[in-house]
Amino acid sequence: MVKVTFVEPNGTERHVSNAEEGQSLMEVGKANGIDGILADCGGACSCATCHVFVDPQWWERVGPPDEVEFAMLDMVADVAQDMSRLSCQVKINAQLDGLRVTVAPASDF
Amino acid sequence: MTSCPMSQEAKCPMSQEDQALLESGSMTDPIISARPRPYYAAMREHDPVHWDEKLGMYLISRYQDILTIQQDPITFSVNKGYHTQQAKGFQEEFQDILKRDGGGYFPDAIMSDPPYHTRIRKLMENAFTAHRVKELEPRITKVVADLIDSIADTGAADAIHDFSVPLTIRIICEQLGLDWDIKDRIQRWSIAVTAQIGRMQDREQMVAHAREICELQQYLIGKMKERKDDPREDMISDLVHAKIQTDDGTVETLTFEEAVSLVRALLIAGNETTATALGNLFYILATQPEIAQLLKDSVDDDRLLNRFVEELLRIEPPVRGLSRMTTREVELGGKTLPAGAHLLLMYASANDQADVFPEPRSFDINRPNIGRHVSFGGGVHRCVGLALARMEIKVAAREIVRRMDNIRLAIPVEDITYLPTVATQSIERLPITFTRR
Repeated sequence: MVKVTFVEPNGTERHVSNAEEGQSLMEVGKANGIDGILADCGGACSCATCHVFVDPQWWERVGPPDEVEFAMLDMVADVAQDMSRLSCQVKINAQLDGLRVTVAPASDF
Repeated sequence: MTSCPMSQEAKCPMSQEDQALLESGSMTDPIISARPRPYYAAMREHDPVHWDEKLGMYLISRYQDILTIQQDPITFSVNKGYHTQQAKGFQEEFQDILKRDGGGYFPDAIMSDPPYHTRIRKLMENAFTAHRVKELEPRITKVVADLIDSIADTGAADAIHDFSVPLTIRIICEQLGLDWDIKDRIQRWSIAVTAQIGRMQDREQMVAHAREICELQQYLIGKMKERKDDPREDMISDLVHAKIQTDDGTVETLTFEEAVSLVRALLIAGNETTATALGNLFYILATQPEIAQLLKDSVDDDRLLNRFVEELLRIEPPVRGLSRMTTREVELGGKTLPAGAHLLLMYASANDQADVFPEPRSFDINRPNIGRHVSFGGGVHRCVGLALARMEIKVAAREIVRRMDNIRLAIPVEDITYLPTVATQSIERLPITFTRR
């Protein structure tokens, strides 16, 4: 089991310790009812509703998005940041034990 | 109508035009349906959850209300909304015809509510991920390029019948594994199925459409039986042989009825809506030369091209509105709706809301929130084929602008007619002229 901290859009910190290797970070968020992880498209990298900001100290281990994911993040440039990732594209592994991410707000609307 | 300078909370006095539109207008009116933006704007400003008496539905016109509905699929049921809309007025007869001559009446398994919907949806998602779609791009580029090459020298064509419709049919045939010789029937079948949620067919048309759907189902059932014994690399085989593992480890398969309804849904949803989007692309290129220029300038930049497609989808959404039905009394947009209220979500209206998309009628590929439009719906029912749709439109836009130039309408813009339906806003014929680039 891997530990992950999600900071929800309203600032609430949620510590979960039941993430399994091979799961996506989005699946971990959904399974734990993390606010703001909607994942409309079901993990297809097509909707940007599971968007998180990776804490700078974890960025190197998580790694940058590929071009398909980058294209999707560009559609929500209103909230995207340098360390944005779509959590459906981040696979949990032992290296990520202790990972900390902030859930992106849904929209500036 | 003229736009109101005041905020939406502080209501502007209603103009006489708006008042008349709201009192006597209806989405069933062919004139309003063809050019609905003033009607949408009047609703958004004065009556965002508007009762359309002739349609018998509440029209939901504001962005935030549509988001609220999409995030609560239990209170706002797609199953009840869709199946109440289907063949409305003739439901029993419609279902009887399908049972008698079409191999059965198969309710749409994907037009359902959680938790049932969750199981069906999971099964379809793998086929449509953005990464899988990316792998299909070279093959689809070839299909598109071949089709454009076959008409680019002719100088004139109907952008709908000579390009948009055959292109999407060719792609969907390849993907599902259908025979190319049924291409002429697919368009008729698509129209017949879509007409069931279009609310503008009389009884005679319903019977004619039901006969088309019988033929469609018989064809699909035949194909499904073939693939049952002899699976191939196509989506019919995928669905016929699909297995899902639930959380407790049990393995489930689709029932025959579910599988027929899903193959039918993929054929129709992937065809009609994408063809409509490509028609809209030609319409914009033919009527707004500065956007054609923008596309030319963006064609070798994947990021700009992606943004071009997204803005096209925002400014001209192919799907006009899909329905929901309330399962309990609920407050929405300042109104109390009873249980059983039938709603139509007006996507094009939400995409035109100025406080979400400033200067909404301007085609602006630099919008920071360009992906926030609701043209694909949202929540658990967000279009499953969205990545494929985006890619098809992107490839078409790129290959069109590389091969064709000086695209112009061959008829006056006011002569453009639209399919009679509340479900999509689809141009019927779009005669254009062009030169080879």
